[in-house]
Amino acid sequence: MLTRRLNRPPLWRDQKAIAIAVQAFTLALILLVGIWLWSNFQQRTAAIGLDLNFDFLRQPANIPIADNPLSKDASISATLLQALKNTFLVILAGIPLSLLLGTLVGIARMSTNWLVRKLATGYVEIIRNLPPLLIIVFLWGGVFLAFPAVGEGAEAENPWSLFGGWMLFSNSRFGFPSVVGLDNFEVYRTVFVSSVVIAGAVWIWRTWVFNRTGKPHRRLFWSLATLLSLSAVAFLVLQGPFEFSKPMLAGRVWSGGFRMQMPYVALMLALVLYTGSHISEIVRGSILAVHKGQVEASHALALNGLQRYRFVILPQAFRIAFPSLINQFLNYTKNSSLGVAIGFAEVTSVIFNLFGQSQPAPQLLLVLMFTYLALSLLLSAIGNLVNRLLTLEGAA
Amino acid sequence: MNKPNTKSVALRWLAVLFAVVLLAAACGSDSEESSSGGTLAAVQARGTLKCAINDNLPGFGSQQADATYVGFDVDFCRVVAAAVLGNANAVEYTPLDAGQRFPTLQSGDIDVLIRNTTWTASRDGNEQANFLFTTFYDGQGFMVHADSDISSLEDMANASICVLQGTTTLLNLNSEFNDRGIPFTPLEFQANDELQPAFTARTCEVWTADSSALAAFSASLSFPTRVLSEVISKEPLGPVVSDGDTEWAQVVNWATMATIQAEEYGINSQNLSEFMGSGNSNIRRFLGVPSPEGVEPDVGLGLPADFAEQIISQVGNYAEIFERHLTPLGLERDRNALWTDGGLMYVPPFR
Repeated sequence: MLTRRLNRPPLWRDQKAIAIAVQAFTLALILLVGIWLWSNFQQRTAAIGLDLNFDFLRQPANIPIADNPLSKDASISATLLQALKNTFLVILAGIPLSLLLGTLVGIARMSTNWLVRKLATGYVEIIRNLPPLLIIVFLWGGVFLAFPAVGEGAEAENPWSLFGGWMLFSNSRFGFPSVVGLDNFEVYRTVFVSSVVIAGAVWIWRTWVFNRTGKPHRRLFWSLATLLSLSAVAFLVLQGPFEFSKPMLAGRVWSGGFRMQMPYVALMLALVLYTGSHISEIVRGSILAVHKGQVEASHALALNGLQRYRFVILPQAFRIAFPSLINQFLNYTKNSSLGVAIGFAEVTSVIFNLFGQSQPAPQLLLVLMFTYLALSLLLSAIGNLVNRLLTLEGAA
Repeated sequence: MNKPNTKSVALRWLAVLFAVVLLAAACGSDSEESSSGGTLAAVQARGTLKCAINDNLPGFGSQQADATYVGFDVDFCRVVAAAVLGNANAVEYTPLDAGQRFPTLQSGDIDVLIRNTTWTASRDGNEQANFLFTTFYDGQGFMVHADSDISSLEDMANASICVLQGTTTLLNLNSEFNDRGIPFTPLEFQANDELQPAFTARTCEVWTADSSALAAFSASLSFPTRVLSEVISKEPLGPVVSDGDTEWAQVVNWATMATIQAEEYGINSQNLSEFMGSGNSNIRRFLGVPSPEGVEPDVGLGLPADFAEQIISQVGNYAEIFERHLTPLGLERDRNALWTDGGLMYVPPFR
């Protein structure tokens, strides 16, 4: 006891004490800066008499949002929810598309085909090094604005049509076919959902057979055949419970099908192109990170190229890539705020709009920040969950 | 391995923290300086006027090739600078888009906002803004391509309409069309830079804005356009300052109004010298001509006695400003004529 006390250095030379002191000092400093920022904010807002409550959210917004018919007296919060829906639509369509594009390009960059490899490299090197705003504005102004201008009167142009009018393209909207329910559609939907469940069961059964006997499972074939035949029978029995609806344009009025606003397509595609270029690099790096022996082993098993990727390389590469992919998805989400540049009414755009409409900027900024924070946290929560499922036991 | 390093790491941290403290202290003192005292004193001490403008609206405010700004609104920044500082060129311009203007005004980063801003009750009430003398009486109009079949608001059913975000134009558009039950597709842009190509490509068949702005853009577009006769709103545009500084508001107000008084007296930058010796006591007082005893008239606004003279000689009277920037766009005086000519420009007496 005595010796230990003697051996202890004085307090100012005790590493533990120094460490604690430094940390306490840092914490105090951060607190001080925080307090200073807050009091500054309070002083400034008090000086000009700004209200800092959120009652304004109940006031009518009087801001129209394209293709989202809001009632005349829709409140600011209702308007913001519509804007959030638009943001979600950009994210939901864009993330799977950018993952698909990125994976294909990532593989293409390592293709043995010279042309494919160089094309993929060219795409990645050009798009990855451009700011996303530039790509968005280019796609919007340089490509889609040049599409036919529809409308009424002698000067109106006809939209471009593909597949005999099943897809329409104009510089204000794009139209695609959609499914419209007729009589018995409710029944059909129930049957269809059940068919999906049965097809899933067939999948499991084929896997089980394969595991037991080693016979080829042909899961995809079996499941699809089950699903298609069941739904086809239901379709016939129910005398055509649905039909495909063709997008139509008469004068200025669109009807039928499924329409997208041009700025939405421009924003979403531009972000997919941009994010896809980053994802392709992640995918390529992850494929390269798969142990060389794995590839050699798959060669030894005489797997062809597709099988090699499908069964050996991609499952392992995906595991490596996933944490970085989440990052890209978060970036994608935040970049969706650039819709403001081309007049797409996503959440940032509507909040910026409200700034100019006598609505309080500090609170609106907080709302905007928390919206993106919540979106990012949600995405990373989902990502971490998937990542945990992917992680091999004992690997972490 | 860690042990010998800990102390130097700690020291390095301390150094960083010390730097942060210094920085924070520096920032702190900076912000205190700017918040004390009135705006008038701050402008005079600084020697320049911070004026927020539109840099994207031909006629009212736009940037020239040599990076200087010109326009009707820009000239009123110069008017205030001439009155307060005696130098019309002592202006720091801040170009703002519609959404930024009120947050920037609230932040105290600008002295005055002269950016085709409409005076409304909710802006006066919610934005801590103080709207001053209206320099231009405008109204919201609609512009279409010359060959369009649209000739009234009813014809615009289901049409795409381009409009700027954060403007009263957008609110008027929404109210008017909702009240009349006309469906429409809004395309809301932050700046005319994006709106103009959309209108050119006919992505939006209609462009709605203040009539004066439409006239200005119509003149600069490469294709023929047509402005409809329907006008759906009142848009009084004028300078705006922050609430809570009456002295500064009065200074900006009287400086602005001096241009109109000058026109009423028939004083312009060309004939100013003739009026300096005028026998009319009202004009002598207005121009700040000292009495025979050498006493300068002082109305107690905190402005130099010769502020009107400075304004007229360096910028000109209202008619000159209007003719310099708006007449070339084909805009008539109309409502913006002097009250003596049947217009709305009527200023209180300078005595």
